[in-house]
Amino acid sequence: MLSRYVKLYYLFCKQNLKVMLEYRMDFLLGVLSVMLQQFAGIFFVKIVFDHIHALNGWTFYEILFIYGIAATGRSIHHIFFDNLWTLGWQYIRPGKFDRLLIRPINPLFHFIADRLQQDGFGQLFIGIIVISTAMPHLGISWGVLEFFILVVMIIASGFIFVAINLFFATLSFWMVDSLPIVWTIFNLSDFARYPLTIYHKGIRHFLTWIVPYGFTAFYPAAYFIKGSGFERMALLTPVVAIVSCIIAYWFWNRGLKAFTSTGS
Amino acid sequence: MIVVKNLEKHYKIAKRDPGLRGAIKSLFHRKFETKKAVKKINMHINAGEMVGYIGANGAGKSTTIKMLTGILTPTSGEVKVNGIIPYENRQQNASHIGAVFGQRTQLFWDIPVRESYELLKHIYEIPQAQYEETLKEFVEVLHLEPLLGIPVRQLSLGQKMRCELAAAFLHRPKVVYLDEPTIGLDVAVKVRIRAFIKQMNARYGTTVLLTTHDMQDIEEICQRIIIIDDGSVIYDGSIQDIKSQFGDKRVIHFELEDAADSFVLPETLCDITEVLPKSDEEPHLVSLSFSNKHISGAEVIHTMMNHYSVADLTIADAKIETIVEEIYGRGMKKEVQHEEIH
Ligand SMILES: Nc1ncnc2c1ncn2[C@@H]1O[C@H](COP(=O)(O)OP(=O)(O)O)[C@@H](O)[C@H]1O
Ligand SMILES: [Mg+2]
Repeated sequence: MLSRYVKLYYLFCKQNLKVMLEYRMDFLLGVLSVMLQQFAGIFFVKIVFDHIHALNGWTFYEILFIYGIAATGRSIHHIFFDNLWTLGWQYIRPGKFDRLLIRPINPLFHFIADRLQQDGFGQLFIGIIVISTAMPHLGISWGVLEFFILVVMIIASGFIFVAINLFFATLSFWMVDSLPIVWTIFNLSDFARYPLTIYHKGIRHFLTWIVPYGFTAFYPAAYFIKGSGFERMALLTPVVAIVSCIIAYWFWNRGLKAFTSTGS
Repeated sequence: MIVVKNLEKHYKIAKRDPGLRGAIKSLFHRKFETKKAVKKINMHINAGEMVGYIGANGAGKSTTIKMLTGILTPTSGEVKVNGIIPYENRQQNASHIGAVFGQRTQLFWDIPVRESYELLKHIYEIPQAQYEETLKEFVEVLHLEPLLGIPVRQLSLGQKMRCELAAAFLHRPKVVYLDEPTIGLDVAVKVRIRAFIKQMNARYGTTVLLTTHDMQDIEEICQRIIIIDDGSVIYDGSIQDIKSQFGDKRVIHFELEDAADSFVLPETLCDITEVLPKSDEEPHLVSLSFSNKHISGAEVIHTMMNHYSVADLTIADAKIETIVEEIYGRGMKKEVQHEEIH
């Protein structure tokens, strides 16, 4: 069962990659533009820190590290789950979603596997570069265990992005297109690229327990930042990822049910 | 194979008053209108049958097919396809069915046709040997060879539809639903597609449910037709039966010099002919329907010419088109249903 889906995913990917290579120019431009975007963000942080030494007690490299985790986690979503954006206007409205319902495989899987987004690779590169730049300056020694935890944290971060987008994309089953909502919520993740301690308590709770973007960058990063005071919170990251995914998938199934009973 | 009992589908349509005020009002207080798209229909289709499912636009054909494929859950009633309830076990049902929905593609848009088929092979878990054999056969019958290397998005409508048909039958499904597969195609492609469907049925015993507006499709492919009108089945039987039942029916379309609106049926024709409702496409025509047991076509024409100046006329013979036109037009529902009961 699982191995069947792994194999299918591989085959879908292969086809998507072929299409990508067919449009080589698009691929390069997409990757470059995303990298530029990311650079702009980092440049901004750099300028701020040229004038001050610490922001609310956080050093430049610590902020850079948080930024890097956000970018890498987000790239997982961007590369593999980008199709979530298109649920309303490319699948449900034009009637293309029906096609997924008459295939003997999980419709969510089919929907996700239908697309691979090359632009996300730019974000992945930048994220890795930023993380490696910041790593040596955090005051901890990096062993195998730390690396392992880092990878787990980043994957968890990616899946939190996925769960949140899936949840709000699912609203498309009830409304014309939930894209504006998905977009608005997604933009909240920008807040999470900075230490949550710089925000008002209300915002902090919101980004921790309601729309848990805090766990996509700040909390997992804090695990590796000496004396951050959030090490224990950080350990919740994988749990939050799993719970968010379960809730989002449950909601998706509700949406699917609504769709099959209204037919639009 | 397909058993449908008292199947109903009601759509809820949100009603709102026009303009901004209406839009704001509808935010707080939504009014719904119920559209009964399918009303208590029953059908029983055996394995290997090829059935034409016909009816005017909006009659409820696609809605029925969506419930049979599991895309839609019925409001009430039940469906069993090959022992499976499609909307409850959608994935299980999906591996035994194929479908073509008019102009929507089932194939993968950006990748070449051959690779689309490769993916379908894995999705449906078709054994390699069977896949190769099937594909070879389809390529021959549908002339797909030159298309296999082209991405779907670059195909013409006719080419795409041939590829779609092959995709729908690729995993040798037990049932195939074809919702207007020939719409917009030229005659040569239609002929090819009909031949293919018949061959699939002959070779693999595939059950086929076909909706179309092209009666030629029906006459060539189906042994049986089910006619649906405004959500209700108004006829279910063999084409042969309907022909002999209504075979004496004739329809003549008259184009009059005077406006068709002022037309009054000449008295001598009153009891034995009937004026059919005007069609939307040709509102200037007056169509008379009659049985040639009661009056001959020549006599009808003669009488009409005596009373009106006729610019042109066409005689529709007892083809299935005419009969169907009759059934829709005159609302023969009661008569036909009555026949069915005993
Ligand atoms: N998703 C939907 N929501 C509301 N009404 C619908 C929907 N789909 C179809 N209808 C209505 O239901 C009726 C039957 O439609 P349909 O099954 O598509 O007919 P056909 O395929 O015979 O043309 C039509 O009046 C149509 O407007
Ligand atoms: Mg239809």
